Amino acid sequence: MTPLEIGIASLALMVVLIIAGLHVAISLLLLSFVGVWLIRDNVDVALALMAQATNDSIASHEFGVVPLFVLMGLLVATADLGKDIFEVAHALLRRVRGGLGVATVMANAVFAAITGISIASAAVFTKVAVPEMLRFGFTPRFATGVVAGSSVLGMLIPPSLLMILYAFLSEQSVGAMFLAGIMPGLLLAIAFSLAIVVMAWVFPGYVGGDMTAGSAPVLTVGAALGKVAPVILLIFVVLGGIYGGIVTATDAGALGALGALLLAMAKRRLTPATFWKVLIETGRITVSVLFLIIAANLYSRMLTLSGLPQTIVEWMAGLGFGTAGFLTVFIAIVLFLGCIIDSASIMLIVLPLMLPVAQALGIDLVWFGVITVIAVEIGLLTPPFGISVYVVKSTLNDARITLWDIFAGTQPFTLIMFLTLMLIIAFPRIALFFQ
Amino acid sequence: MELEAAGSGAEPQGSYNQPMPFRFDQLTALMNAAGTLAIFGLLVLINSDTVGRTLFNSPIRGTTELVSLAIVGIVFLQLPNTLWAGRFVRAELLLDVVVARAPRVADVVQGAFHVIGAVMMAIVVFATVPELRTALEIGDYVGSLGDFTAPTWPVRLITVVGSACTCLTYAFLALADFRRAMASRP
Repeated sequence: MTPLEIGIASLALMVVLIIAGLHVAISLLLLSFVGVWLIRDNVDVALALMAQATNDSIASHEFGVVPLFVLMGLLVATADLGKDIFEVAHALLRRVRGGLGVATVMANAVFAAITGISIASAAVFTKVAVPEMLRFGFTPRFATGVVAGSSVLGMLIPPSLLMILYAFLSEQSVGAMFLAGIMPGLLLAIAFSLAIVVMAWVFPGYVGGDMTAGSAPVLTVGAALGKVAPVILLIFVVLGGIYGGIVTATDAGALGALGALLLAMAKRRLTPATFWKVLIETGRITVSVLFLIIAANLYSRMLTLSGLPQTIVEWMAGLGFGTAGFLTVFIAIVLFLGCIIDSASIMLIVLPLMLPVAQALGIDLVWFGVITVIAVEIGLLTPPFGISVYVVKSTLNDARITLWDIFAGTQPFTLIMFLTLMLIIAFPRIALFFQ
Repeated sequence: MELEAAGSGAEPQGSYNQPMPFRFDQLTALMNAAGTLAIFGLLVLINSDTVGRTLFNSPIRGTTELVSLAIVGIVFLQLPNTLWAGRFVRAELLLDVVVARAPRVADVVQGAFHVIGAVMMAIVVFATVPELRTALEIGDYVGSLGDFTAPTWPVRLITVVGSACTCLTYAFLALADFRRAMASRP
């Protein structure tokens, strides 16, 4: 077999094994190891590359951003900051039709600026916003759909675990990727809010909502400021530091985690036992992500040796595939995989193959990263495997609201995400605003 | 509590989160705790460096080098226990269907997958032992002489030991899978 055939065969087998349920990292390691061995007809080369991947691929100061931002995200979730933001947004929007839905989106957008994991957003707002929306007579489908839908903002608005992952894979700076997520995130939040207001007027039966069902909280300006001030301070420390170029992303992550720790302590939400639990959970998420990166490192070396990415570049050039054609194929693949596997795995499988093509086409890799992250995030909401929906369901723990109710409720938001993605493709300036 | 929901999308099932022979899970839990302390250490170290550098113009020497070594150390200290807890990323879609329809088949498939995992981690051990030996023999270090240096062998050792423990954890998981497949059940 030629190296190219070996590359294609191991890629195909890898996808089969991953779908069958073999651990993603093990699938990547297995097929890449065997692939390199066969291509070079030399097991020592395969062993040497394996050693390099395990010892060197994550041995960099940059990778510190993963545990630190995960820790920060988990700490702000325990500190009840999500609840505070939601209360303020609710008070501000209490006279708007569908206002509670918009308040959920807005609170999610603000919360997204201090957390980098969508599942954290989904869990927090299921607890905080869904009961409140149900109390005001919104339909369960709409209420859960808004929460699951707007949870994607968590990984688009910086800090963001997916942006961090993309930065590692494409060798862009984490800070640049963070800044590129701001405008698309705000755009998506505004699009969600507009859609909710329109739905509330056009399909009142679907949305539900009864303003007279209860009284919205009325906050004094001072009380509202007191609730949001710590959050704004935290956002300022993290994003301000990166944007101003004063600190690296890793340092900003450490500052953010420290700030979140102090806030949680000041709000008396943190016992030593909870803090230990938070740290353990941080380790679990960090290890599963970084082990995937080790495996992906070996995988991309195998791909390079097989010459597969280069062949795809030539093949696409031969067919006269431009940027538009490439992006169409790329997004179709990502959306398809999004129905089956988790977001991190999609990026690790697809990007080593597609980044060389994007580069050859002269596509801006920061812009391409934003496109990738949004396309991958649509997968958080699409059945049968949509992790955000699963999290809402398991956090809610209410037998009357089925998984399919929530999937149905998220569909309008999936559509809006897709339209926003098209808009960002048409106007790259949205993503490259801060460059 | 919010964290549990945030952490695990689905309930851990099958052989995960169960006691293991020779209290092996307790050993990996200890390693995991060491890694957890190291994460907190990172938080303290990086913040001290940032504050020292920006406010007092006195950075902590070797922060960058220590952080890069620590990241590798943390991952391999926590790898075995993360596997034990069933937190390695995988697509559960197809397996869930098989578990519901034919639990015995699912156990055998899971067992086979865990054997593959054990083999791959054994290969990782085999690949990284020479690097540990080299690091010890030539006294490999990071940093620059006269400023700050740290030997690399402790982290190389953690990599080897952590991979070996992950290999054993995979083996014990496979054992539990096959046992369940053999056991008669209603």
